[in-house]
Amino acid sequence: MVRAKQALSHGYDADRGALRAMLGAGLAALAGTSDGLSGLRRYFRPGQTVGLKINGLAGRNAATHVELVDELSALLRQMDIGGHQQVVFDRFASDLTASGFALNERGDGYRCTGNDALGYEEEPAVMPSSASRLARVLTERVDAVLNLPVLKQHMLSGMSGALKNQFGCIHNPNKMHLDKCDPYISEVNALPAIRQKQRLIVMDALRPVVDNGPSYQPGMGEVANALLFAVDPVAADVVGLELLEELRRKRGLPSLDKVDLAPTHIATSARMGLGVGERGAIDVVFIEV
Amino acid sequence: MMKGFSRRDFVRGCAGSGCALAMGASMGGLVLLSPRQARAGETPRPHPARFWKGLDNKRVQCQLCPKQCLVEDRERGFCGVRENRGGEYVTLVWGQPCAVHVDPIEKKPLFHFLPGSRAFSLATAGCNLECKCCQNWDISQSRPEEVDWQWMPPEEVARRAKAEGACVTFTYSEPIVFLEYCIDTAIAAHKLGVRTTMVSGGSGEVEPMKEACKVLDAVKIDLKGFTEDYYRKLCKGKLAPVLKTIETVRQSGVWLELVHLCIPGANDGESEIRDMCRWVKTHLGADVPLHFTRFSPQYQMKNVPPTPFETLIRCRDIAQAEGLHYVYTGNVPGIEGENTYCPRCKKVVVARHGFHVEAVDLKAGHCAFCGQTIPGIWS
Repeated sequence: MVRAKQALSHGYDADRGALRAMLGAGLAALAGTSDGLSGLRRYFRPGQTVGLKINGLAGRNAATHVELVDELSALLRQMDIGGHQQVVFDRFASDLTASGFALNERGDGYRCTGNDALGYEEEPAVMPSSASRLARVLTERVDAVLNLPVLKQHMLSGMSGALKNQFGCIHNPNKMHLDKCDPYISEVNALPAIRQKQRLIVMDALRPVVDNGPSYQPGMGEVANALLFAVDPVAADVVGLELLEELRRKRGLPSLDKVDLAPTHIATSARMGLGVGERGAIDVVFIEV
Repeated sequence: MMKGFSRRDFVRGCAGSGCALAMGASMGGLVLLSPRQARAGETPRPHPARFWKGLDNKRVQCQLCPKQCLVEDRERGFCGVRENRGGEYVTLVWGQPCAVHVDPIEKKPLFHFLPGSRAFSLATAGCNLECKCCQNWDISQSRPEEVDWQWMPPEEVARRAKAEGACVTFTYSEPIVFLEYCIDTAIAAHKLGVRTTMVSGGSGEVEPMKEACKVLDAVKIDLKGFTEDYYRKLCKGKLAPVLKTIETVRQSGVWLELVHLCIPGANDGESEIRDMCRWVKTHLGADVPLHFTRFSPQYQMKNVPPTPFETLIRCRDIAQAEGLHYVYTGNVPGIEGENTYCPRCKKVVVARHGFHVEAVDLKAGHCAFCGQTIPGIWS
């Protein structure tokens, strides 16, 4: 987890210089390399098309920061993954634009498209509890995915983080919100197309939504100035949850399990072998830049 | 599937070339818009929804079905067709059917409702269940943006049904999720003297269903199983609200028939069938028709074999032994369970083969042989 006191310059907007420093430190620490670019090379290769799965559901006030995506895009270009090989995506074009991203299919810079443009697979991927058609952006267009969730409290699942962000890769997340989204989140993450393509997670915790999420309600964003780097989505969510609970305590809000919103999907995902769910088994490196 | 040519493309193509009718049976009645009519990719038109209440922070709670979805601003509920727009709830399927077709009424199946008549059948995207065996999952599990649809307001549906000499039937997906459209269309249809029917999974709240029953002439409900476990695991739903809906429809006086799709190993146990039949007799009476229909592998249950004929016959035997008067077997043409028998003289009063009615021996709703009243809507 990398924090920078000046990451948010004013209100929502992020400071690009601070983000650049955070990315450099985080990627290097995660990959065990001397710098961020070398770290990124551990997860992506030149020639690959990289999908950057943002979270744009709640609009600009609670979306993955555009500045963060811009800085990551710049790093990818430095390793010869050009803008045409970078695809920023989420469910709807309207969500992307509402989050401050500019739709772009042919111009300079990274590509940016809603799943609704390319559509979904014809046949559903069948899971034990449900079935979904996967976004063609994921299955046909990108080789690897950089998961860019936003840390948020969620009124149905308890928490939205790395695992839940993958709901943006299926056509029917509306069918998956029963029973605190459990086991649906886990089963979606276990789909080979999602699990095998996800290489890296950079969780946007610059200003998490601490309550009344996942939409943005005025006053519910708590500045944390943090980015979480991981390759394990379960571990990322365990640490994200810890941060979310810390921020809620600061606000005088009850723990999620006290309001029957403990995000049980994290433990379920760990049981399914999708990652490490035990806090004691996760090596968390805290960095201040 | 051929590369670059999807199942949907195939379906659309068939519609344009006149293959739609032939496809209908194999695709379980999923119907087809002609390419000229279809509006694929167009943004659905919002229409004010009914049956909801506003909450704080621009949230709404849907009160149309037992899911009672809490819906955030810019989000949709479980069905995927009702959206919160700044604290106002809208339906995105009113007047926008994605499937329109004329079927025999026997296909619904409604066996005690104008035998041999036609049903101008329509559906929109969306469903408030997710049945693993759904034969129309292409539309029921899709959002309005993901299907081809055409603009067909209620008056247009009524006019076209009248021109076809058909009743209007809301079917294929789940009419409860487009209930505002159903109600408005039924009102428009009645103004033209056209009757209206609904084919539903029955997972609705009581008040909306009462509203619908005021303008419907017949309802067929799928009683998909008779355990909560079945509904939870295979349908993402609950049994109790379905039973409540069935009772609501029955009490309203609207003609009611029930269908139980028999899925091997899932809902065809003898005790479950017997419990269901006893409930039907106790709560609805012996005269409500009950259809046991054959399952064929679909959607998430392609690994389950088709229902053996013997199972359907066994289920029918159980129902008759429990005292139900009108018990049918479906999706298996040519066996005796297709016919309507007079419960008193045991003679065939409506003879059927598949969706075809071969003979009707009724006189003003009575058995032509012994005069026994045969409940239903016959003229």
